[in-house]
Amino acid sequence: MIHTQAYAALTSLSESLKPIHLKTLFENDSDRFTQCHLQMEGLLFDFSKQKVTQAVIDRLLELANEQQLKAWIEKLFNGNKINHTESRAAWHTALRDIENPRPEVAQQWHKMESLVNRVHQKQLRGYSGKPIVNIVNIGVGGSDLGPLMMTHALDKDKHPYAPDIHFVSTLDARQLHKVLDRLDPATTLFVVASKSFTTIDTLSLAETAKEWLQEYAPSHQAVMNHFIGISTDAQKMSDWGILPDYQLLFWDWVGGRFSLWSTIGFSIALKLGMQGYNEMLTGAHAMDQHFKNTPFEQNIPVLLGLIGVWNTNFLKLSAQAILPYDSRLKYFASYLEQLEMESNGKHTRRDGTPVTYRTCPILWGEVGPNAQHAFYQLLHQGTERVMSDFILFKKGISDSKRAIFHQNLNIANCLAQSRAMMIGEDNQNLHKHYPGDQVSNTLLLEQLDAHHLGMLVALYEHKVFVQSVIWEINAFDQWGVELGKKLALDILNHIENQSTDHLDSSTANILKHIWEQRNEN
Amino acid sequence: MKINVFGNNISALVCAGCLAGTGNQVTLVGHRNNERSEPGLTKLLDTQEDAERLTISKTFDIEAEYQIISFDPEQCEEGKRIAKILSKGNNPKRCIIIRSNFTMGSVKEIERLSQIPCVINPDFASDGRAIQDFMRPDRIIIGSRNDETLKQFKRLFAPFNRNRNVMIEMSPESAELTKYATNAMLATRISLMNELALAAESLGADIEEVRQGIGSDNRIGASYLYAGIGFGGTHFAKDLCRIHKIINPSDSKEGLLEAVIRINEQQKEALFRKVWRHFDCHIENKIITLWGISYKPNSNSIEGAPSLALIKAFLNQGATVQVFDPMLDANFMIWMRENLSLEQQKRLILSGEMYDATHNADALCVVTEWQPFLSPDLDKLKQNMNTLLILDGRNLYDKQWIQENQFTYYGIGR
Repeated sequence: MIHTQAYAALTSLSESLKPIHLKTLFENDSDRFTQCHLQMEGLLFDFSKQKVTQAVIDRLLELANEQQLKAWIEKLFNGNKINHTESRAAWHTALRDIENPRPEVAQQWHKMESLVNRVHQKQLRGYSGKPIVNIVNIGVGGSDLGPLMMTHALDKDKHPYAPDIHFVSTLDARQLHKVLDRLDPATTLFVVASKSFTTIDTLSLAETAKEWLQEYAPSHQAVMNHFIGISTDAQKMSDWGILPDYQLLFWDWVGGRFSLWSTIGFSIALKLGMQGYNEMLTGAHAMDQHFKNTPFEQNIPVLLGLIGVWNTNFLKLSAQAILPYDSRLKYFASYLEQLEMESNGKHTRRDGTPVTYRTCPILWGEVGPNAQHAFYQLLHQGTERVMSDFILFKKGISDSKRAIFHQNLNIANCLAQSRAMMIGEDNQNLHKHYPGDQVSNTLLLEQLDAHHLGMLVALYEHKVFVQSVIWEINAFDQWGVELGKKLALDILNHIENQSTDHLDSSTANILKHIWEQRNEN
Repeated sequence: MKINVFGNNISALVCAGCLAGTGNQVTLVGHRNNERSEPGLTKLLDTQEDAERLTISKTFDIEAEYQIISFDPEQCEEGKRIAKILSKGNNPKRCIIIRSNFTMGSVKEIERLSQIPCVINPDFASDGRAIQDFMRPDRIIIGSRNDETLKQFKRLFAPFNRNRNVMIEMSPESAELTKYATNAMLATRISLMNELALAAESLGADIEEVRQGIGSDNRIGASYLYAGIGFGGTHFAKDLCRIHKIINPSDSKEGLLEAVIRINEQQKEALFRKVWRHFDCHIENKIITLWGISYKPNSNSIEGAPSLALIKAFLNQGATVQVFDPMLDANFMIWMRENLSLEQQKRLILSGEMYDATHNADALCVVTEWQPFLSPDLDKLKQNMNTLLILDGRNLYDKQWIQENQFTYYGIGR
């Protein structure tokens, strides 16, 4: 347990609340919504379908105070090195401080804008002199998920001269080859996005792309007109051959999963234009201001985070579903999977001691109307207790009659599902019995555009931070991904030498089976 | 006969001048600002005004027998406004002749609003030879369903139909489409030649030889087979866009004309691509000379001209551009201000003399086939230029002669 007074109080409150069905809370208070929602411009947060009472909220706020959340927020915004295991700040809020930008940030905006304009004006040229009209973003993790999620979601707001943008991330190169098959090398530009510019996933794909271009372009210089690099390491980019004008920088104080706000968002800017990119930053900045300046009891990211802690540590819920009711948010859940699980999926406290409580739940999700026909069965009648976030936008596709009908259908389904999970339905026939009592949040936003999506992503970032403060963990490192990388290099070495010495019997025998197959062919 | 001609463009001015010249009483409802670039037009209009057969006026007699609408294609609304005014007249012998390229179907609307029978008589004249084309046309297309109006039209145009009968009667819809189709056909020939020019380059053939080979085929004919750096001008591209919009929803979705337009746009940058490849993708601080800005010789018209695409492309890669054009005027300055940044404008140098423009140049791009460019003084060029590189966008020169003089030569398709 976390050694605070509030933690103990919450433990005993949870014991008394657990047996109470969620629907009872609504029956006892017909105006429960009034007490259980928060608002800021463009966003409403309804947590009335959570198993909380005012007493719970009060204790959660005390827990936040006991864990010095206010001071931690200040450290976050001041750029203190709160990522202490890597001795770095986690200063993504500085990337969207449009009112008071840091000079190096503004300088990169300027460079980005110039490149974006050249692409839009068809003045960025490939080896043949033809303008670039296709972009392939090569990146993995934070260098892929954020730009992919955003550009997919905001496709209808794309700049009239936006190029076609493709995303490639997997090191098996199948995605890359599928894309290359369709593209003209003369008009294709690769954006190689890697914080360290050493990630083997990204660099191996970039190398394959380079070889592809070398077949067509007459010289090395000509080839390098097809690569833009985005990294914190200018020297590494130069070593790889990226031309100085084609290098975009960010800094070690930007975490990979928080990097879509930096030059890593170049693909977003290509898609939306700089104006759209700035609107995304403005939306996130509005959330930053809210998070930084709003008292905790009115603070949406704080409450979202605390309720998550309540569900995980006190109600012992095991998973978090993300359910956007807008098909454009197809990649939103995978984006949050990285943001939440890579940040808080940890078992060691900041002081190096092991945690004695659960941290980040397993998070997954899918566009709501599709998920209804997939895993909602488990939510309604399974044995797992799960918390869900329903995400809904007020505006539909248009004001036409059919569009309004579809939007009403969408709204009705979203509200029906959260209600069904809350209230359930008794039936003598157990096959048709719905226990209900599954908790959920509903986030209602004005419309899906760059501004509101910027807000929404920043909301989850701050939620993650709030939880990390309560759990006393560092949300900004990711040591967990290193071991696999190291072993992969070792196994690659074994494969290249056709040796299984010192490998475990599983690995060794799988390799032998693969080699047998190859030899037969 | 009493005639009103509505419009200010070359077509309107030529029509008013020529009809006054055959003894009619013509009022040009418009103004004389645009005639400078059309050879002979100023003289024609002056003569007819002096003879008092041509009046330039804002007011007009709505009872005049012939009401000729010759607005620009995008001035369709203006045409409809005139039609409404004409509907207030009483003279039953009036007819409206529409020479404008309005959107398909506009004629019906004008007929309905004016309550006067209409004839469509599309103008096929090309800039630079508009008077000649009006006086001695290849063909006079007449689109009408009204016999009386047809007769009336023929009376008016009889002086231009004397050598042999070139009048072709058809429905108004066919007449409208004929005008569009003509430009579509010509553009398609040019874009096809430009595609073949690319093939010629990669095969080591010479498109000029190929052109002569196919042009001698009677089924094909020799005109509009020149590969080059694309067509410009106001009417051609606009008509293509229009006809594309007509064809697309009607049936075919294959996008032939779309490809024609795309090829033409790409072709405008052909010389840039050759320079770019010649210098291995690096032309920052190079000096590039352009001979010719207007989209064709003897004209100051720059709309859609390949030179503009080239200037933008070179400046955007950090080169300095030195230009010479015999008829450079204010419309180019306006284009510069509207399309180039201040920093880019500083790297664009206008020369008053063609060889001055070649000082220290790393490449000479010949963009328009003006007469003075046809026989360049290669010794002078050798003295002036930093790199002996000539890009012949109109295939004007004898390739061998240029090469023998130590120049690197790039043409189109050779």
